[in-house]
Amino acid sequence: MSNSTKLDIQNLNAWFCEKHALKNVNVKIPDKEVVAVIGPSGCGKSTFVRCINRMHELIPGAKASGKALLDGVDVYGGMDVMDVRRKIGMVFQKPNPFPNMSVADNVVAGLKLVGTHSKKELAEIAEERLKSVGLWEEIKDELKKSGASLSGGQQQRLCIARALAMNPEVILMDEPTSALDPASTAKLEELVKKLKNEISVVIITHNVSQAARISDMTAFFYLGELVEFDETRNIFEHPKNPLTERYITGRFG
Amino acid sequence: MLKEPEYLTKINAEIMEMQEIVESIGEQVQDALKNRSSGLKPVATELCREAQIREELIVEMCVGSLIRHQPFASDLRALTVAMKVSYDLSRVCRYLRNITEVLEEVNVKNCEVKEVCELLKNAREMVRQSLKAYFEKDQKAATNLIKSDESIDEGYRMILRKYAVQKASGNCILFNGITARIVERMADHACYISQETIYLVTGRRTDYR
Repeated sequence: MSNSTKLDIQNLNAWFCEKHALKNVNVKIPDKEVVAVIGPSGCGKSTFVRCINRMHELIPGAKASGKALLDGVDVYGGMDVMDVRRKIGMVFQKPNPFPNMSVADNVVAGLKLVGTHSKKELAEIAEERLKSVGLWEEIKDELKKSGASLSGGQQQRLCIARALAMNPEVILMDEPTSALDPASTAKLEELVKKLKNEISVVIITHNVSQAARISDMTAFFYLGELVEFDETRNIFEHPKNPLTERYITGRFG
Repeated sequence: MLKEPEYLTKINAEIMEMQEIVESIGEQVQDALKNRSSGLKPVATELCREAQIREELIVEMCVGSLIRHQPFASDLRALTVAMKVSYDLSRVCRYLRNITEVLEEVNVKNCEVKEVCELLKNAREMVRQSLKAYFEKDQKAATNLIKSDESIDEGYRMILRKYAVQKASGNCILFNGITARIVERMADHACYISQETIYLVTGRRTDYR
């Protein structure tokens, strides 16, 4: 277990117009660990991760208060929003490769926008990142094909490669395997476990078994509140809060 | 308390069946010991075999439930505990059968067996109470049962002390020493069941011994 904190969330609140979606959340995300975020639909999981990289504020009527300190610097205070999203990458439920771009161009799309790399450098980064997500051997002869031509699981790993190309320090994943078959899910889970050697990963999942398999820490949310945050083994073996127990044993509702 | 899932109810029903087998062997061994009679070994062996089959069935049901239901928290603990309890009961069966083997091998017609009879009676009661605490998820009763093991240990030591100095015939010394040791181990398994019960209820493992 890591001792250092990568993200320190303090008194985080979020609203959608009048609806108080996230209520005074305090949590420390450790460096180079996988944190699973679980809870029933509508409990604030997605709002929580979207607040971390300031995507919440893109929604009309949405607002947030509190602090999210990345290595001690508040993403709401002292950082440029683009810098926040470069350092804190995001992978969504549905893979979203750019359909009009090749596989290789998809990986380096973000870097191209920055415009500081040569073609050779971009090709090297694309290869390196495709290797790190385990896609290189599968598609090295199809780099010029459209990203949309890949299977769902490959597309999701392509999106992770695209996020990794920006050298993020944290990756947020919002149900990244919900649309994938078991084999693709297994590959992505292996990738998540590997990623923590380099960065912190926060992953939302409705699959509690998946949370138990891949995470070091687990956060359980209910009605916008962080009910319990503990080592995954503790959460799944002997949770402290009866609400957590009821949720993970499937006795909710 | 959360309602027990159906698969756990079925598994516990099998554990109750195992308990009945253990009780049946226990009663017969108690009588054989009191009467210093041999000849029970084939029956005990057969009953032990039945208990072993049930243990294997319980493990199979637990593994199947782990795969099908992927339980967590108290449900997960209940399955791991059920497997261990069935193992402990199987061991208790084998210890009881061991007593019938000793009765078979050692001539005890003229031996004093009162203390060892009492020790066995108390150990059987411990097994019964440990299972009651398990089925009722009674942490306090399980904790008390572990504490009561001291009286079995003391009874065992007392028998050893007595026969270490007594000028009884060799076979009586041998019989009482071996049987007391078997019974003492049997009571240990009652304690293990209680330890598992405490883990089942609290989620914490503590070595109470």
